Amino acid sequence: MAQVTRREFLKSTAAASVLAASVGPHVASAQGKEIVMLGIWPFTGPFADVGPLLDRGMRFAIEEWGSKVIGRPIKYISRDSETKAGAATRRVEEAIDSEGATFVIGPWSSGVALAVTEVAKRRKVFYYFSGGTEEIAGKRCHRYGFNWAASPYTAMHVVMDKFMEANPSAKKWYLFVSDYAFGWSVEKYLRLAGQKYNIDFVGADRAVLGTREWSGFVGKAAAAKPDVLCLLNAGQDVILSIREAHNFGLAPKVPVVIGWGVGTEDFVQLDAKTRENLWVGTNAYYTVNTPVAKKYAEDYQKKFGVPPGYAPSAAYGMTRLVLRGIEKAKSAEPADVAKALEGWETEDWPGRVWINPKTHQTVRDYFFIRCKKSDQMKHAHDYADIVASSSQPLMPDEFNECKDIGSL
Amino acid sequence: MNVALLAGAVLNGLVTGMIYALIGIGLSLILGLLNIPNFAHGVLYALGAYVLFSAAVGPVGFWGGLLLALVAVAALGGAIEYLAVRRLYRVHPDYILLLTFGLSLIMTEAIILVWGPVGITFQPPVLLAGGVDLGVTFYPKYRLAVMVVAAAVVLACWLFIEKTKYGAIIRAGIEDRDMVSVLGINVRRVFTVTFAAGAGLAGLGGAFMVPVRGLIPTMGIDILPFAFVVVVLGGLGSLPGAILGGLLVGVVQSLMTAIWAPGADFSVFALMALGLLARPQGLLGQR
Repeated sequence: MAQVTRREFLKSTAAASVLAASVGPHVASAQGKEIVMLGIWPFTGPFADVGPLLDRGMRFAIEEWGSKVIGRPIKYISRDSETKAGAATRRVEEAIDSEGATFVIGPWSSGVALAVTEVAKRRKVFYYFSGGTEEIAGKRCHRYGFNWAASPYTAMHVVMDKFMEANPSAKKWYLFVSDYAFGWSVEKYLRLAGQKYNIDFVGADRAVLGTREWSGFVGKAAAAKPDVLCLLNAGQDVILSIREAHNFGLAPKVPVVIGWGVGTEDFVQLDAKTRENLWVGTNAYYTVNTPVAKKYAEDYQKKFGVPPGYAPSAAYGMTRLVLRGIEKAKSAEPADVAKALEGWETEDWPGRVWINPKTHQTVRDYFFIRCKKSDQMKHAHDYADIVASSSQPLMPDEFNECKDIGSL
Repeated sequence: MNVALLAGAVLNGLVTGMIYALIGIGLSLILGLLNIPNFAHGVLYALGAYVLFSAAVGPVGFWGGLLLALVAVAALGGAIEYLAVRRLYRVHPDYILLLTFGLSLIMTEAIILVWGPVGITFQPPVLLAGGVDLGVTFYPKYRLAVMVVAAAVVLACWLFIEKTKYGAIIRAGIEDRDMVSVLGINVRRVFTVTFAAGAGLAGLGGAFMVPVRGLIPTMGIDILPFAFVVVVLGGLGSLPGAILGGLLVGVVQSLMTAIWAPGADFSVFALMALGLLARPQGLLGQR
């Protein structure tokens, strides 16, 4: 076999380097034309049931745009967050490095989002999240991060105000709270909202996400004889606690209020009996009467045969605003899109939205719905009526810990 | 803590504990006799629940559905042992562990394909709907019925294992399966029967829980860690140990919920750790 001399080796290496250098920029510019959007969703773990729905919502919006924006193709990729901060941040970093992702949307859990937003800040990629923690548009705010869901301050005031309007004597509340960022935020503001009505919070149990045995919690709540059982938990915890409340005869005698619910995704898992006297505060319900929401609900039902719940609607709503932001900025640079969204007032899925430039909170309506009895339902998916919707009260500045959103 | 709350917590613990015991007995026997950490045990529990659901909404009804869940899941367990697990007895136990883990994933996906990914709520039969006032506390009738029936099944299992010839063979197999084999007993058939019985008990446990917790395809994955805690705490292959372990786990979890809710699940694993430190072979285990 012929030996390669040192001189020949150096020559060929140099030639290869020149070739690589000449090819490199072309490859880079070809990649630059494509806008890579990452959906970081929970396909496994405690929220695995909603991962595919979130993925579906994001795809839906991109397909509506014909997978193209400002004349450039959109490449949609998704990764599994596992509802674990470590896994989610690792996969976001990987998608940025190997796929060139510059727009990140997701995940579902507030706790995981708080880790992902730090990656977005450090890597200067655009980030949209929809969830109950106040910190995305609060303590952890930055110029690249946005929150689509109503602020927990507004949401809990809408729930308390509207429920108390209908049930002024229901003064004793018992809370089940998810023991992580989401639960802590909504509990704090529900208690604050309750001050106006002299609500007596007769008990509050914090439970780890994924708790499967709720009989003890419900037994404890029943012993406190509350007027309202308010659930500030998430995922299957909501479903299991409602079932147990009915098993123990606490509900429907005592109304169950889900402070921050998903609506449709929960309703399909319950039957008409367990939906009786159930009130839900939510960021999305498929009968929301705005032009974008109505068209989306129609198209979605035509395609999938079921109405969209909060998960696909949130993913769809966030993706829409990102795509519209790119169009407004006439650029797909994350910094340009962030600037384009700041202070923008427009009509979108929730109706009128305004993106607070100081915090990046999307100011929009929060919905309060009441489930129907089985004899009131006109069709299989006619679960509830929207009792009220409001974007007020806005969170006062003194509550918001986003004092300086920083620079791009 | 007032008396009503304490009574409710203890009752909840006993009901949940009986279900844990039912699942734990099957897992313990399989682990003790076959040396298999059966990672498919949780999904067999889930399958029992779904079989009950299909039977109950169909012509078989709820009570027939309970029996069907026991028989169908036992038959499936027997088939798994006969067609798959048996082929790996001569190789390292890790292969069986991987096999059962793989089977659990396949069966979970099969549940999603057949019954869908969305959770289902199911009401108890009319006869057991509502609650009853026990004087100290108001308690759901269905849960009380589950406690009584599950206790009867557990007692029947104990009598079978302790008082019958076949039970003696299983106990002997747990002690020394090679010795049982040289005595001319068809130990392979004992393996199949034990695996089937263990699976059937898991299926029945799942069926009992349908009106309590409803259905979700991942319900088997949720229950499995608690089943393993029951076995480790009670002692490998020990039926009384599984019963004691199940009841302890259920009651501790429930009482802890009443005292300090965030520590409810934590307390179960802390109990196991303490049990292992005090008695590594389990509370009533021999090895």
